[in-house]
Amino acid sequence: MLIEQLTITTTPKYNFPQPTIDASLPQRLIELSIHSLKHVQNQSSQLNQQIFQQDNNLEEQIPTTRIELQPISLKPRPEETVVAAVDTSSIKIGETSKGIVIAVRGASVWKQKRNYRYLRLGPFIFHITEENKKEVYNALQRAYFNSPHEHNRQSSPSLFQMPMRIASLLERWLQVMLSRTVTNGLILFDGSLTSGIAGTPTQRMKEILDNARKKGNVVLAFSKMTSLRFNGYLVTDVLLGYKPPYLFEIAGLKPKPPIVLLGDVYVARLTKGNYAFRLDIDKEVSLDRKIEPVEKLLGNDLFSQSYPETLRLAHIFCTFTANEVIAIQHFIAHKYNLKIINRPDMHRLLFGPFGKGESRS
Amino acid sequence: MKLYKKEGNIIQILSFPNETVEKGDYLLIEDGDPGKALIVQVIDVQFANIPGILEELLRSLPDGGELMQGEDFDPLEIAPHITYIQDARLLTCKIRATAENESLSPTSSWLPSRSQSTIKKLQIPTLLKLAKIDGKLPIVLGGTKDSMLLTIDASSLDGRLNIITGKKETGKSHLSKLLMLNLVRYGATVVVFDLNGEYISLGMTSDGKRNAYYNKIHVLTPSQNFKAALKQLHLRVLLNILIHALHLPGTSAREFRRIWRSLKERDNLTLHELGEAIRNCRCNHHVRDALFSRYHALVNSGFFTDNVAEAILLEEGLFRAKNEGGAIIINLRNTSSIDRQIVVEYLLGKLVDLLTSWKLKAIFLFAEEAHLYLRETYWDDIVTRMRHFGIFTTFITNQPDTIRQNIYRQADNIFLFNFTNEQDLEVISRASRVDAETVRSIARDLPPHYCLALGKIVKDFPMVAKVKALDVKTMGETRLFFKDMS
Repeated sequence: MLIEQLTITTTPKYNFPQPTIDASLPQRLIELSIHSLKHVQNQSSQLNQQIFQQDNNLEEQIPTTRIELQPISLKPRPEETVVAAVDTSSIKIGETSKGIVIAVRGASVWKQKRNYRYLRLGPFIFHITEENKKEVYNALQRAYFNSPHEHNRQSSPSLFQMPMRIASLLERWLQVMLSRTVTNGLILFDGSLTSGIAGTPTQRMKEILDNARKKGNVVLAFSKMTSLRFNGYLVTDVLLGYKPPYLFEIAGLKPKPPIVLLGDVYVARLTKGNYAFRLDIDKEVSLDRKIEPVEKLLGNDLFSQSYPETLRLAHIFCTFTANEVIAIQHFIAHKYNLKIINRPDMHRLLFGPFGKGESRS
Repeated sequence: MKLYKKEGNIIQILSFPNETVEKGDYLLIEDGDPGKALIVQVIDVQFANIPGILEELLRSLPDGGELMQGEDFDPLEIAPHITYIQDARLLTCKIRATAENESLSPTSSWLPSRSQSTIKKLQIPTLLKLAKIDGKLPIVLGGTKDSMLLTIDASSLDGRLNIITGKKETGKSHLSKLLMLNLVRYGATVVVFDLNGEYISLGMTSDGKRNAYYNKIHVLTPSQNFKAALKQLHLRVLLNILIHALHLPGTSAREFRRIWRSLKERDNLTLHELGEAIRNCRCNHHVRDALFSRYHALVNSGFFTDNVAEAILLEEGLFRAKNEGGAIIINLRNTSSIDRQIVVEYLLGKLVDLLTSWKLKAIFLFAEEAHLYLRETYWDDIVTRMRHFGIFTTFITNQPDTIRQNIYRQADNIFLFNFTNEQDLEVISRASRVDAETVRSIARDLPPHYCLALGKIVKDFPMVAKVKALDVKTMGETRLFFKDMS
């Protein structure tokens, strides 16, 4: 006799947004990557002594006029909300006689129903030279920006700005994808919502925010570093004696054209501890809806030193480790027969123990 | 593989995942200069210290310890390169020799080129050939991990002191049986102190049929078919038994000597007469009591007899073995501790007599857990004096600290099975023919039945082999209570 019918279901799958990816940019990245690397064949590459992770933290100099000293207290809202974040990273792998070899990678991370999931794109490797940098950059822009106006306004960056600029392009593309695919969620960006500076065209940024809004999302941008000051102090250092979580609004910011602030700027101290971050919230979101997303974020994500875990994971997933740099060097050495040589450190060479190396110069 | 570092006689080599190298393997580092190469042995395999590896591993486990779900779009297929670098290994190798013009020298005074040298695996047969570890009397010890045969020469055991050690149930007795039977096959005389009766059926196959050794295995069980006739005993041997096995004090020993000589002069050496002589001895009653108690111990052992005919099997067996090769198995199972010592004292004395008088040429003595029956002073005797008489001993033990340090120092060959205990490995690493790093590193990871052969048998090229199976009735299995219940 059957007493109880057990309900057996398949293992629940996480219902993450399935983006209908506009693959034009990644496709162009691959093509350009392979094309640029073909020119590197049989050359020798100098090891980069200052392997550094490029951080897209270009912050504009904006004078701060007023800080709202009345804190906005926050209460975590546990309503189920998708939290998604984007970050990209670039790294110089080495130098060739004609240019540099760089790698770019991007990651987006979702949190839904207590689980994180990631999509990682790359690494894309480029051999950038003075000759091909314009071609590479313009081709990527064309794949990304449909507007010829935007295209013309962007001048081709210098060789050493290229890693960051390509990473910015990838980041914007990932942001577009998220803004189109996430519904009623929170989209976290790394950096600010300031546009009009290199790599952040105003029109494109506006489109991203518009798309996000149309899908019921709110974009929150966290800056790890800020140069905004109040009374000479960094705004994130102005920690008043209030119990976190709370926000302070920084009002009256008047950037000089072409810089445009697309978000309202806050200082967010979301957990105990002495850490606070600049938080930009989409300006077009109505005033009464601005605080709610931060409270939803508090109720849906983990926080470590006031920084949301989803964004932290996006950063971790795109960052290049030393091991990966070696692997990329191994890849280009094997596939393109690039001979890697160690360039002498001139600081060490000239100053011996007093030479601290180029990276610290 | 790439040459990375050299410190002393240790060389570090970077190896990649597609190169399968294990501990114990030999590598040949060929210099750009043709005809010259370094022979090194891998004694440890570690992960290469790749920068950023910790970050890499942490990144893969950020979600509460569970693997994070996600997708990687890796169009250039860099991921295999990442894992390739992650899985790179650092081989710590010991320099064993330099090969130059097909001859080997134990030098490591030169350094091959880091950029130009090529590194490849050196197969055991090639090494055996190079090191000339072959001979007219081959003994197949077993197979290496590469399924190559490791063959030693029986003559490398001749005149040598050998130690077989390892923890319980790793295959020590099995190897000693293999060596013993091969020595018998080549006509050697072998004596085995068989503590647990493991060797008594070596003349039978595993299914109980007679094998080629059936007529060459002579099992002698003390008090049964192995007895000593008082008349044939040398006073020296009996005094050794009394003093060392039965702890007879010096004064009493002197009195015993007097009694013995008196009986001998009268040709009246029987157990009964010996007892009567002690009873009637005009000496201090403490001395008399001491002698009487020892006399009863000798009588109660059942090992001594007045009947000379009962005491001829040992010599018979030894002489037969001398002519056609054979093994005398002294079955010490069911023999008490004191009786064991009496038997061993007697036998060693007898062997020395036979060897001194050149009635025997030389014998190979296999002694299992010798500390249970060999008195302290015999250890030195065995490695020095008895060796010159022609007793070539192989000690078998699972307690390496029971063998004295000077035995290790003088051991010519060591067959080492798995040990995990640091203290045990420390004891063995004192042997002069072994380097401590090799012992510690390789022996710890040896699987059961794999043995690390060290010393002259392998011309000081330590080699690992799985000991060959034997089709003999070994009787070495431990009796189990639950065996038939499962």
